[in-house]
Amino acid sequence: MASDNQTQMRILIVEDEEKMATALRTGLEADQFSVSVAHTGEEGFFLASTETYDLVILDLMLPRRDGMEVLAALRQKGVSVPVLILTSKDTVRDRVRGLDAGADDYLVKPFAFSELLARIRALLRRGKPELGDRLRLADLEMDASGRKIFRDGKELTLTAREFDLLEYLLRQQGRVVSREMLARDVWQETARYTPLDNVIDVHIAHLRRKLDEPFRKKLLHTVRGVGFVLREETP
Amino acid sequence: MMSLRPKRVRTRLTLLYVGMLAGVLAVYFAGVSLLLFWQMSGILKRLAAEDLETIKGLLYLQGDDQVGVREDYHHHTDWKQVQERLLEILGPDGSILYRNERLGSRTIGGAPFAGEGEHGYSGRSARMSDGTPIILISRKYDLQGRTILIRVGYSQNLIWNQLKETLLVLLLASPVVLAGTAYAGYKMVGRTLSPVSKMAHRAEQINSEHLNERLPIENPEDELGHLARVFNAMLSRIEQSFEQLQRFTADASHELRTPLAAIRSIGEVRLQEDAKPEEYRDTIGSMLEEVNRLSAIVESLLTLSRADAGQIRMQVSVFPLKALVREAAALLEVLIEDKRLTFTLAGDETVGAQADRLYIRQAVINILHNAVKFTPPGGSISAHVECKSDSRVELSVSDSGPGISAEHSAKVFERFYRVDEARTGDDMGAGLGLSVAKWAVEANNGEIGMINLPGAGARFWIRLPAVGCPSNHEMRH
Repeated sequence: MASDNQTQMRILIVEDEEKMATALRTGLEADQFSVSVAHTGEEGFFLASTETYDLVILDLMLPRRDGMEVLAALRQKGVSVPVLILTSKDTVRDRVRGLDAGADDYLVKPFAFSELLARIRALLRRGKPELGDRLRLADLEMDASGRKIFRDGKELTLTAREFDLLEYLLRQQGRVVSREMLARDVWQETARYTPLDNVIDVHIAHLRRKLDEPFRKKLLHTVRGVGFVLREETP
Repeated sequence: MMSLRPKRVRTRLTLLYVGMLAGVLAVYFAGVSLLLFWQMSGILKRLAAEDLETIKGLLYLQGDDQVGVREDYHHHTDWKQVQERLLEILGPDGSILYRNERLGSRTIGGAPFAGEGEHGYSGRSARMSDGTPIILISRKYDLQGRTILIRVGYSQNLIWNQLKETLLVLLLASPVVLAGTAYAGYKMVGRTLSPVSKMAHRAEQINSEHLNERLPIENPEDELGHLARVFNAMLSRIEQSFEQLQRFTADASHELRTPLAAIRSIGEVRLQEDAKPEEYRDTIGSMLEEVNRLSAIVESLLTLSRADAGQIRMQVSVFPLKALVREAAALLEVLIEDKRLTFTLAGDETVGAQADRLYIRQAVINILHNAVKFTPPGGSISAHVECKSDSRVELSVSDSGPGISAEHSAKVFERFYRVDEARTGDDMGAGLGLSVAKWAVEANNGEIGMINLPGAGARFWIRLPAVGCPSNHEMRH
């Protein structure tokens, strides 16, 4: 389900910390991206300005040349590749500074890898048509605009919140979705310290009862410590 | 360039003191000299006048145009006054009839001026022909039918010498006086300032290890005592916040260490033997859960420390409080239903709170969440919004939980404080929810508190600046 493109997307990771860079490379390669890694700001600038990438993931605190400088230099050179900033600086001022310098998105460490993947896909999808209103997974069918959902031909009755939750999971099908992503995108909670995890868990339990319990094939899975995923189980 | 200003207050004060005394002495000496001069010229004039009378009696005519003085009248010719005396006798036309030996060929006063010595004594300061300043007394007399003008003069050097001597004595004495004063002043300033150096000495020893030390107060009434008291009060406040900080740091590291220890042992234990892939999955998942808890704690800590540093700006607006409570409750509805709790919301629909909506929403969610957490299944939670005065609105949240014992109730808003030491493992389980609520409410000029209800249960309340409360509101009870 992951390979929605025939040609591999190329991603450049500019990150000085070895472990982090390796984790990112492994994770992205598993998701069918072609990945290059630069360990310094200068190397990153050189690669980004000489090669063609579909996306750059840029750490801000880099040796020799600060990430913000690299970004500004790239934009000045007319390199318009989408840039996603990864940083542990999380004040509003830092965010504004990053976005002003020409970043397309901003993700604060520590982050859920599923969230990073979702952001990357969102950036790569920009300007491309949405999936549409008809969503489908195995015997599950959703009419998003009509707000109807069928499984095995039978209509399920969901509360509004459960419907939104399922729609989100369905649009991200096959991909793990973290509780933070659900809190932000389904509940629209911006503050990260709102105690929503319990709320989300209970909603998932309710949804599971309606969606999966009557059926033999389970679609909604919990990935312990990470989040939830909607997919056909491949044994 | 080096400043000549002495560095120590003690030296400066002493120098100032001595300098001022020297000035006063100089003025005093000048005054004394002036007075002395006046007095001595007076005395000299009087002496001269007496002398003049004496001389008058000793005069005799020598031929037509000479006058003699019987100098042998004086028994003691070495008498200073006689020796110093300058005597000149003139005729009415200014012709010189007599000059005594001491005067020699010099003249005193030159030609007589009109009316000189006619009516009593004429006394004046004058200069002799050789420039010596003198005191001069003259008088006209009739000597055997002839008018003569007798002039007696004394050199002013007599006065000056006297003055010089007096001044010399005074000036010789003054360094001694000044030195004495300087010494006494230095000692006195030293004694006055000694509490300061004691305070400084003690203050040097006060560091984070000895924050309970205080400065000595010698006299609580005087200025230095006041300074010490103010300083000590400041130390108390510093000590208090330092203790708070230390406790906070200790609590925070405890909270951070617990998930870290879990991650470590879970990983170590799993790696001790080979396991099936599902088991590894489970282990990693369990480690990630702890990581999530760590992230949540760090996140809350960051928020609180930013709040402490005053970096968070409130964006105040007016919003209906009851609607906000309803919204917060809707968010938690699923938890309420899950525990089969009954939730009721009552009170004035229109009253507005004047605060930052986002943070107050956060506070309300945390308070409600806390109530949901501690109310046993099947219990009830009731929220009530009402005006407490024409400018204060209160939201109270009462639950039918076990309440909070007195020893805990004072601390429920403290960071990391948990009534129940067992970990609940939820998102805000680190015991920061209520302290975030407290911060949010207080940052919006509100108050927050908690009371135990008679019977069972706890009531948390927050009060906020209000808009739309009736001005003559009947206060409850």
